Amino acid sequence: MMPLDASPDGANGEIQAGRYYGRGVPYLPINDYPGKLIAIEGTDGVGRTTQIQLLREWLEVKGYGVVETGWTRSPLMQPTIELAKSSNTLNKLTFVLLYATDFADRLEKEIIPALKAGFVVLSDRYIFTALARAGVRGVDGQWLRNLYGFAIAPHLVFYLKIDVEKLIGRVLESRGMDFWESGMDLKHGDDIYDSFRSYQNKLLREYASMAEEFHFRTLDARRSVDRIQDELRKQVAAFLEPSEKPIEPVLAR
Amino acid sequence: MTFSLLHATDFADRLLYKIIPPLKAGMIVLADRYAYTAFARDATRGVDRHWLRELYSFAVKPDLALYFRVPIDVSVDRLMARRVKLKFYEAGMDLGWSTNPVESFRLFQGKVLEEYDRMVDEFGLEVVDARGSITQQQQLVRRLISPYVQEPPMEPTHDAA
Repeated sequence: MMPLDASPDGANGEIQAGRYYGRGVPYLPINDYPGKLIAIEGTDGVGRTTQIQLLREWLEVKGYGVVETGWTRSPLMQPTIELAKSSNTLNKLTFVLLYATDFADRLEKEIIPALKAGFVVLSDRYIFTALARAGVRGVDGQWLRNLYGFAIAPHLVFYLKIDVEKLIGRVLESRGMDFWESGMDLKHGDDIYDSFRSYQNKLLREYASMAEEFHFRTLDARRSVDRIQDELRKQVAAFLEPSEKPIEPVLAR
Repeated sequence: MTFSLLHATDFADRLLYKIIPPLKAGMIVLADRYAYTAFARDATRGVDRHWLRELYSFAVKPDLALYFRVPIDVSVDRLMARRVKLKFYEAGMDLGWSTNPVESFRLFQGKVLEEYDRMVDEFGLEVVDARGSITQQQQLVRRLISPYVQEPPMEPTHDAA
């Protein structure tokens, strides 16, 4: 609608963990909240939810307060999103905006209060899912990054990376292919297998293209649940308990 | 934020189904409120102005945007005269500025009007003084619209037949 100046919006500037990516929410200033935000990303069926459950238990045993949040789980928007998906009137723009509304609700009502109160927030998917899905559907990347400029940059982003062959096997063994996860709305044909394969391939490419920009910590999700979990715990522990590491530089002085 | 994004979703839906198709067909679309309403209302609620403008960058820029300007007192008096029951959000009651709906409306809509005033130059809004009579306003509106509406040359087809 108007010429846009090249202000440091979206993720183009320096990303600071625990701060807003872009212009943020002006009426909710963030002042070094004690909580930590950890996002687990990855495509459909890659095993995120399993990993988050295990991570949660482990963190709680270690004495951390943990809050979980997940995509489209806001009480405000979930019914609307389900309803919209079941009708045929959604297009890519309204789809993106409904997701963003859901995220904004969870950010204001769950994530920010939990960070303020010192919780570890485990996010099952984060804005990268929205960016990937919208990217595949041809929505402008810069517009999306501005839109999600109100999101908080997580302290850690783990990306569970898998290849489409392995993913297909895993999804078929568990619950089968779903309409949306197969990108059937993109109408690339009637065959759900072909559609799933091509759609997920594109999604994986989108995720890969974001890895550097958003500082993903990539984990090989083709391995067993336990091995992935070990790796996760190692990295999370190193982040949450850095004081347990030897402090040589100080001694050297 | 959710209030703002829900309205943007609704706007996107109307844009794609109700505004763009008739424009493509060469029709005239009259929009009762447009993105400017969101800019004014959401900024008053504390949403970032620049973010809002980028959010709505998918909107079509209107060929002509009319802003019916009225002082807040006139607005309140008119609503009171019609015994309109003020709506919760319309009165900005969610902001908690006043427990009295009329007072809250006055405070909130007063700020909204300031936002509109800031947009007059930014977006080239045509201001219509809404204190005048309906007839006066309508005459001005017709004058403002006429350059955009080329009347098709009328051929006396029936008579010629």
